[in-house]
Amino acid sequence: MPLNIDLQQILLHWMNLAILTGGLYFLLYKPVKAFMVKREEYYRKLDEEAAARLAEAERIKAECQAKLDEADEEIRQERVRAQQSIQQSTEDQLAQAKEQARQIVAHAQTEAEHSRERALRESQRELRKLAAQATRKLAFHADPFDQFLDLAEEGEEYEE
Amino acid sequence: MKQHKKALAVWIGATLVLLAGALLAGSPGRSESVQEAMRDAVLHNVNQIDLLGLKAVNPGLISAFLVTAALLLAAAVIRVLVIPRFRYKPGKFQLVLEEAVSLFSGMAREGSPHRCGFLGAYIFAAGAFIFVGTLFELLGIQAITVHGHPITLPAPLSDVNAAIAMGTLSYLVILSGGIAGNGVKGIGKTLKEFSLPISMSFRLFGALLSGLLVTELVYYYITLSFILPVIVGVLFTLLHALIQTYVLTMLVSMYYGEVSEPSHKKKH
Repeated sequence: MPLNIDLQQILLHWMNLAILTGGLYFLLYKPVKAFMVKREEYYRKLDEEAAARLAEAERIKAECQAKLDEADEEIRQERVRAQQSIQQSTEDQLAQAKEQARQIVAHAQTEAEHSRERALRESQRELRKLAAQATRKLAFHADPFDQFLDLAEEGEEYEE
Repeated sequence: MKQHKKALAVWIGATLVLLAGALLAGSPGRSESVQEAMRDAVLHNVNQIDLLGLKAVNPGLISAFLVTAALLLAAAVIRVLVIPRFRYKPGKFQLVLEEAVSLFSGMAREGSPHRCGFLGAYIFAAGAFIFVGTLFELLGIQAITVHGHPITLPAPLSDVNAAIAMGTLSYLVILSGGIAGNGVKGIGKTLKEFSLPISMSFRLFGALLSGLLVTELVYYYITLSFILPVIVGVLFTLLHALIQTYVLTMLVSMYYGEVSEPSHKKKH
C-alpha cells in the first residue's frame, strides 16, 4: 500500500481508540460530569429554596404592609373622630360660655335697671322731701329768696 | 542576593560543562542520511518495532498504546484518589478536570444540541488522545527497532495509519449520529460528506508530520540543536497539540450535529 498504509495497524489503532474512549468515559468523563450535575442540582435546589424563602418573606412583608396600612387608616379615622369630638366639645363649651355670658349680661342689665329705678325713686323721694322742706321754709320765713338759695346750697351739698 | 548569584553561577557553569561534553563526545556516526531519516519519518517502513513478537509495527502504534495506557492509568488514579474527594467548592486540580470535561461536553452541546451524550464522550477521548499524543514526542522515549537501532518514539498521529484510524473512526462516529438521528436519511446525509474521513485523516497526518519533520531536521544537525529546539520542539508542539485537538473535535461535533439534526418536513 502507498505511504505504508497497513489495514491491520489501522484496526489496531481503532481498537486502541475504542478502549481509550470507553475507559476515559467510565473513569473520568462520566463521574466528573455526574458530579457537576449533582452540584448544579444542589445549587439549583438552594436557589429554589432561597427563591421560596424570598417569596415567603415578600408575602409576609406585604401582609405587614397591609396591616400597617390598616393601622394607619384606623389612626387617621380615630384622629378625625377625635378632632370632630374636640371641635364639637369646643363648640359646646363656646355656646355654653356665650349663653352664660348672655345670662350674666342680662342679669347685669336687669340689676342695673333695678338700681337705676331704685336710684330714681330715691331721687324723686329726696326731691319731694326737698320740695316739701323748701315749701315749708318759704311759707314760714321772711326772705324767701335767701331761704331758697340756702336750701339750694344745702341741696347741692347733700347731692355731693 | 549572594545566594542568587551563586545559584546563577552554578547554573551557567553546568550548562557550559554539558555543552563542552556534548561537543567533545561527538556523534557515534550516522546510520542514515537526512533524506533517509525524513523518508522513514513519513513512511515508517524501515525503523519498525516488534509488537510482542507478533508483528513489526510502526513506532506510532507503540506510541499510541503508550499514550492510551498513560491516559487510562492517570484516569484510573484520578477516579480512585481524586474524584471521591471532589467538593462543591472546587480546588485547582478539580477545576482543571471540570474545565476539561465541560469544554468538550459544551462543544458537543453547541455543535449538536439535540444529541450530544455520546459525542461529548468521544470528542473528550479524541481530544485527550490528540493533545497528549502530540505532547508525547517531547518526552523522547526510546525504543529499539527490529534492526536493533534505537529510535525516539514519535507522536502517534505522525503515523499515517493512526491518522487514518482517527479520521475514519471520527467519520464512523458522525455516521452513527446520522443513523441515530435520522435513520437511513442520516446515512445519506453522512455519505454526502465522503471526503471528510480523508480530509480529517490527512489534516492530522500533515500537521503532525510537518512538526515531526522539522524536529527531525533540527536534531539531525548538531549545530541546530541548541536553543532552536526550545522554540521548534516545545512551543510548536504545544501549539500543534492545541490546534489539532480543537480542529478535529470541532469538526466532529459540527458534522455530527449537522447529520443528526432531525429533518423537518416542509409544510404546504
